[in-house]
Amino acid sequence: MLTNTGPVAKLYLSIIDDVIDSMKELFLDEGIEDRVLDDLRHLWESKVMQSKAIDDHRRNNINSSNFVLQLPAGYQQTEPDLAAPAVIPAAQNFNSFPVKKNSGALATFSLPASLAYPVQIPAGVTLQTASGQLYKVNVPVVVSQAQAGQQPASHPPPRVTEWRDAPALQPAVVPPHPIPPRVPEQSALPASSITHPRPSLPLCQESSLPHIDLTLGDNEPAPPPEPVNVSTTASPCTQLLDLQIRAEEALAQTTKGRDIYDILKEVIEKETEKVERSRDVAAGNSSSRSEAALQDYNALSDIIQLDGPADNSDHEEDEEVPLQENDFLGLINAEVIKALQEENESSDSNSVASSSSGGIDELADVEEGVGDSALNAFGSYLQISCKMFANLLPPKWDY
Amino acid sequence: MAYQLYRNTTLGNSLQESLDELIQTQQITPQLALQVLLQFDKAINTALANRVRNRVNFRGSLNTYRFCDNVWTFVLNDVEFREVTDLVKVDKVKIVACDGKSESKRLKLLLLLATFSRILMKLLFSSDSGSNAAE
Repeated sequence: MLTNTGPVAKLYLSIIDDVIDSMKELFLDEGIEDRVLDDLRHLWESKVMQSKAIDDHRRNNINSSNFVLQLPAGYQQTEPDLAAPAVIPAAQNFNSFPVKKNSGALATFSLPASLAYPVQIPAGVTLQTASGQLYKVNVPVVVSQAQAGQQPASHPPPRVTEWRDAPALQPAVVPPHPIPPRVPEQSALPASSITHPRPSLPLCQESSLPHIDLTLGDNEPAPPPEPVNVSTTASPCTQLLDLQIRAEEALAQTTKGRDIYDILKEVIEKETEKVERSRDVAAGNSSSRSEAALQDYNALSDIIQLDGPADNSDHEEDEEVPLQENDFLGLINAEVIKALQEENESSDSNSVASSSSGGIDELADVEEGVGDSALNAFGSYLQISCKMFANLLPPKWDY
Repeated sequence: MAYQLYRNTTLGNSLQESLDELIQTQQITPQLALQVLLQFDKAINTALANRVRNRVNFRGSLNTYRFCDNVWTFVLNDVEFREVTDLVKVDKVKIVACDGKSESKRLKLLLLLATFSRILMKLLFSSDSGSNAAE
C-alpha cells in the first residue's frame, strides 16, 4: 500500500482501488486467479510509489534513464589476456551497477569505482535494466574506462543487442555494426565504373542491389602482393572485401583467443590506410588468378553451402554478371562470425569464394598474403555475400 | 467512453507497464489488459471530476498553442502556479486539454488541471519539503 498518505496519494490509491475492484469480476469471468489481480495491484502500486518516492524533480532533470546492470550468477572472467582484467566474484549472485543510457541505440554502462577496468563481459550475458528491458550481449564486450564526458568512440566497447520480448535471439549482427554506420548509401554509386577510391566502404544492401550498375573494366588492377587489396577501380564490393581481408589479416595476426569484436575494431581502424593503398595500381595477371580462385572457390563451396551459385561453369560467360554480384555487400552476419571462429578448424588453404573476375583479383591477393585460416573465413564470407546476391539472379544459377 | 487522456500520466503509465509485465508472463491476455485500461479511464475521469476540488491559478508566457482534433495543446514558459498556500515556478509546462463536453467552467477547469496535475504535484512535492502540498 502507498505509505505516503498525502492527499495526492490518497487520490491515486482511491483510483487504484476503483480499478481493481471493477476488474475483479472481469478477471473471474476470464478464469484468472485472484493472485494475478493482486500481482497487478502490487506492481501498479510499487511503480507509483517508486516514481513518487524518487525525487521527481531530479527524475525530470535526468534525460537518460538509469539502467541496472545485473550479471548472472557465476560470472567470471574467461579471457585473461587483457591487462588487469576485472573478475566479478563468482560468489556474487547479482552485481548491480548503475548504468546510464545515452541514446536509444547505445547503452553506456557506468560500473562502480570498485571494479577494476577493463571489464570483460563474455558473450551470452544478459543484462537487465531497472525498467525490465533485457540486453543480450552477443559477443564478448570489453568495458574499458574512459574519461568522464568522453564521447564513446564509433565502436564503443559495450555493445549489446537489445532483446526485449522473445527469448530467441536474432542472428548476431553486433560486430558488423561498426561497418555499416560508416558506409554511405549504395545508391549513390555511379553507374559507370568507379575510377576513384572511396574513402569509406559503401554498404551494399540487398534491396539496393538492383540499382547497382557497376562495370568493372578489364583494367581491373591486380593488387600488389600484400594482403591488403588495392584497386583504383575497386567496386564497393571489393572494398568491403578489403575490409574483410584486413579482418582476416588482423585475425591471423592475433591470438586465437582474441575477441572478434577487437579484430573488427582493428580492421576498422586500418580502413583509413586502405584509402592510400587503394591508389596503388599494380599490374597483375588476373586471368591466371581467376582460374586459381575459381578452383579454390570450388573447394570453399564445400565448407558452407547455403544456397547460391556453386556452378563455376558459368563463370566465363557471366563474368560481368558475377562481377556485379560481388558488388553486393552483405552485412557481416553470424555466419561470418562463426566462420571467423572456426577459422582454426578449417584446413583449406587459399580458399577464396568468388564468382567474378573482379573479385577474384583481390582474392588472389588474399591467397598470397593472408593466412590460410583467415582466407577460409574470408572466403566463407564472400560465399555468403554471393549467395545473398544470388537470390536475385535469374534461375539459371544452381541454388 | 471516457477520455484516454490520462493514460500518459504516472498513474496511467505505471498501470500500463504492470499490464505489459503480466502480458509478457502470459498471466493475462492483451484484451483483458485493454479492458483494464478502459476501466482506468473511467475511474480516473470520475475521480478527477468528483473527488478533486483543488483550485490552482497559473500564469506564464504562451509559447505555442495548438487546437487539433478537438484537443488543445499549450506550451507555456516561466509559469507560476499559485494555490492558496503554495507557489511553484517552472520553466516549461505542456498542457493537453480535451473538450469537457460541458458548459460548466468548473468542469473545464478541472479537466485542464488534470492534464498537468502530475507536473503540478511533482512541483509541489519538490518545492515544499515541510508543508503539506496541494491541500
